Amino acid sequence: MKILVSFKSVADPNEATLAGAAASAAKSVINPFDEIAIEEALQIRERGDAVEIVAVTIGAPAVEEQVRAALAMGVDRAIRIDDSRALDPYAVARILRAVVEKEVPQVVIMGKQAVDDDSNQVGQMLAGLLGWPQATFVSKVEFLDNKTRARCTRETDAGLEVVAIDLPAVITTDLRLNQPRYVSLPGLIKARRRPIETLTCNELRVEVRPLTTVLSIANPPKRAAGTRVDSVEELIAKLRQEAKVL
Amino acid sequence: MDFTWSDQQKELLDAVGRFASQQLNYNMIENDRDGVFNHDAWKKCGAFGIQGLLVPAEYGGLGMDPLTTVAALERLGYACKDNGLIFSINAHMWTAITPLVYSGSEAQKKKYLPGLCDGTLIGGNAMSEPNSGSDAFSLSTTAVKKDSKYILNGSKIFITNGPVADVLVVFATLDKARGPNGISAFLVDKDSPGMDVARKLEKMGLRTSPMAEVFFENCEVPEENLLGKEGSGPSQFTWAMTWERGCILASAVGSMQRLLERCVRYAKERKQFGQPIAKFQLVASKIVDMKLRVESARHMLYHCAWLRGQGKSAYLEAAMTKLHISDCWIKCCEDAIQIHGGYGYMTEYELERELRDAIGSKLYSGTSEMQRNIIGSLLL
Amino acid sequence: MVETLVLIEHDRECVKRQSLHAITLARQLSGKYALLLLGQGLGEIAASLASYGASAVIAADDPALAEPLADRYATVIAEAVRKYDSKILLGTSSTFSKDILPRTAALLDMPMLTDVLAVEENDGSISYRRPVNAGSMLATIKLETDRCVLTARATAFDAPAADAVACPIERFEFDVALLPNRMEFISREQRTSDRPDLTEAAVVVCGGRPLKDKETFERLVGGLADALGGAVGATRAAVDGGMAPNDYQVGQTGKVIAPQLYIGVGISGAIQHLAGIKDSRVIVAINKDPDAPIFQVAAYGLVGDLHQMVPQLIAALSKGEESA
Repeated sequence: MKILVSFKSVADPNEATLAGAAASAAKSVINPFDEIAIEEALQIRERGDAVEIVAVTIGAPAVEEQVRAALAMGVDRAIRIDDSRALDPYAVARILRAVVEKEVPQVVIMGKQAVDDDSNQVGQMLAGLLGWPQATFVSKVEFLDNKTRARCTRETDAGLEVVAIDLPAVITTDLRLNQPRYVSLPGLIKARRRPIETLTCNELRVEVRPLTTVLSIANPPKRAAGTRVDSVEELIAKLRQEAKVL
Repeated sequence: MDFTWSDQQKELLDAVGRFASQQLNYNMIENDRDGVFNHDAWKKCGAFGIQGLLVPAEYGGLGMDPLTTVAALERLGYACKDNGLIFSINAHMWTAITPLVYSGSEAQKKKYLPGLCDGTLIGGNAMSEPNSGSDAFSLSTTAVKKDSKYILNGSKIFITNGPVADVLVVFATLDKARGPNGISAFLVDKDSPGMDVARKLEKMGLRTSPMAEVFFENCEVPEENLLGKEGSGPSQFTWAMTWERGCILASAVGSMQRLLERCVRYAKERKQFGQPIAKFQLVASKIVDMKLRVESARHMLYHCAWLRGQGKSAYLEAAMTKLHISDCWIKCCEDAIQIHGGYGYMTEYELERELRDAIGSKLYSGTSEMQRNIIGSLLL
Repeated sequence: MVETLVLIEHDRECVKRQSLHAITLARQLSGKYALLLLGQGLGEIAASLASYGASAVIAADDPALAEPLADRYATVIAEAVRKYDSKILLGTSSTFSKDILPRTAALLDMPMLTDVLAVEENDGSISYRRPVNAGSMLATIKLETDRCVLTARATAFDAPAADAVACPIERFEFDVALLPNRMEFISREQRTSDRPDLTEAAVVVCGGRPLKDKETFERLVGGLADALGGAVGATRAAVDGGMAPNDYQVGQTGKVIAPQLYIGVGISGAIQHLAGIKDSRVIVAINKDPDAPIFQVAAYGLVGDLHQMVPQLIAALSKGEESA
């Protein structure tokens, strides 16, 4: 089985605080949900259900640091689609469709959302474009029937749900699917010697124009800090008399 | 003089920081209180590549240069709050790995280094004795050659990693009459017949680094475990100690940086008398002092490591680095507690532990007094 | 032709009230709107939607749609959009709509915006505001096309009034044989609770990692919620730690809530959690760390050990009720 894992380079959410200039100076990492996707692919290969893992990302040359991190984690091949534009999820999905048509994987895995954009759309859109089954917000994956189907547990608003989908399919990962392995220094050093394939949209024969434009980004209005109370009694009194919520 | 890190170095250091902050910081207060060594964290550090940073790649290490190595250890100290774990790792790197790399035979290197690098083996050394601390070469543990074995007799104290070590580099004398020239180094595997790792020693700080007394009573060591030539103990020890002095407080620079950032944040947020305490000069001045210490400590650390990378012995620089960083570290910890007021004294805030951990730095790897002697003897 | 279709969510018994908030967004846009329902045996549910001022309630009612399988639902919804020549497809953000609507958007060659908070019009051009970076920033976005899919964040829009004249209920016909058949529903957890729905409750008590285990979590967080007649939520850390099930998770990647009263117990206030509670009317925090970030946004902060404070609070509230 060949697995294609799509990942995005994002500003490190553990260092994220403020808008604008500070964000661009922040360090970049592999989107945490996509890291979970890479880890899942690695585990699937380790238990013998897959033979090749290809990781793909779209971005400027600077994201090669994250591509090396993916190689250091253990993916077999890594591809960077050279495109520095701000792409919306639909544009990303259309580019990924071209990659899927080129690589012909049995499974596409990616994080359910990027923690900078929080859209949660790409995997589902890709599945729609390909006409493939999808399993989103997955917390467990098993392969059945000689790897022609996947049984997936999904985390939904009502709790856990289980679906079985035919392959090839798109799976998006949720938080509790696994704990990603960290990149080791030997892995990082070996990864430096591995090639990163670079492709342009032209070479993929896909032309996309983002249909959304971000006009501005601003800090939301700040919530005013309140007061400290010294006791449970004082809290109840204030909630009753001041805030009038009790 | 180019003070910038290359992209590759930055990538490596960032990986260390991320690994350490995500994988190594848990159960700190409980483990410190109960003196628990974190085996899991040790193995992770080994798999990650910390222990083998300086070891040539052919023996399972990363073959890093000294400057990148200390920078990595500094970042480790910044991102990992377990000073005891890091101390154990350092003891392992400088007192077990370094002598092996320096004097080990091919067979010995192949037998021990891969495991010492990847986290599966824990090493340490046994030099100090109840009656010989600073006066290391006056040790009394004896070794006698008998058939194809050496028989060791004596007792060692303050053996870092003693309770968990798979192998110790033990210094013993084959001939007390020859003084230092009689001292040899031996690789002693745990559970060697006649070897007794006795009670674990309770310490003021670095409590997650296990330490014990070790007794040798007719302990049998195969002759192929002699490390280097007979009588080469002191030169091996001195060689390893120079590395140790220059590098063992690299992580302390990282810890100090972490404390500095913590104090800056706290001083800006904590309000008293209607304003952030950062506005009070007596508080700001302490933070300035912390900053000066971090910078000067860092510069000495890097310079000493750079000299080693150039092939220079840096014997003087190593002693100065160790002396200076230990002083800086302790003072930074004191200031950090003071800036946090009463909270600084509370276990929960994890500041008092930093001071307890730092105090040892004026004692191990040669006391501050010994460092002063060394520096003085080189200048005068 | 109906300019806007609003996808309404239900749990096979009744409408999910949160999904109705998208109607408020529909009313802000120009043109007619119709409500779209998919499922099986939708008679009563469809009838309950007749007074929301829609031009029609469109029900795709078939055993093949008994479970919300994304490939089938997206196909049918896309057909409905085409049939009614709609420009805009709306829903409210939920795992249901997030699973299905992006796929639908791709089938319709439309872009999509998730978690819309507001729509603005400036000189004839429309822009949408949505949260990014765990809600720490707000992005204002313009679309290059007037055909799009939008999900509204329910807490940003009021519940719509249901006082309009009843509209017709139309049956949406589609060819079942042409539906995709490569996804199979196996099972879902059935958990009943006497507590109100987390996304609809007026009072929510959330617990964090310091609650240590499931029993303590239920006793203290659940106990406090019950004393207040509220719902129970949890941070990601608490769910990861097995103290609470995934559907209790509140935050950037869980549920977004805006109750009248939110009480955070043992919660430090990481950005990712605050993302899910920022629009609560009153935020109360109980935490032993006086420097916890949550105190920056709490109206009332109680510094103390939750293992003592929460039982005291439960006792005081219960006593208050007895004497009232």
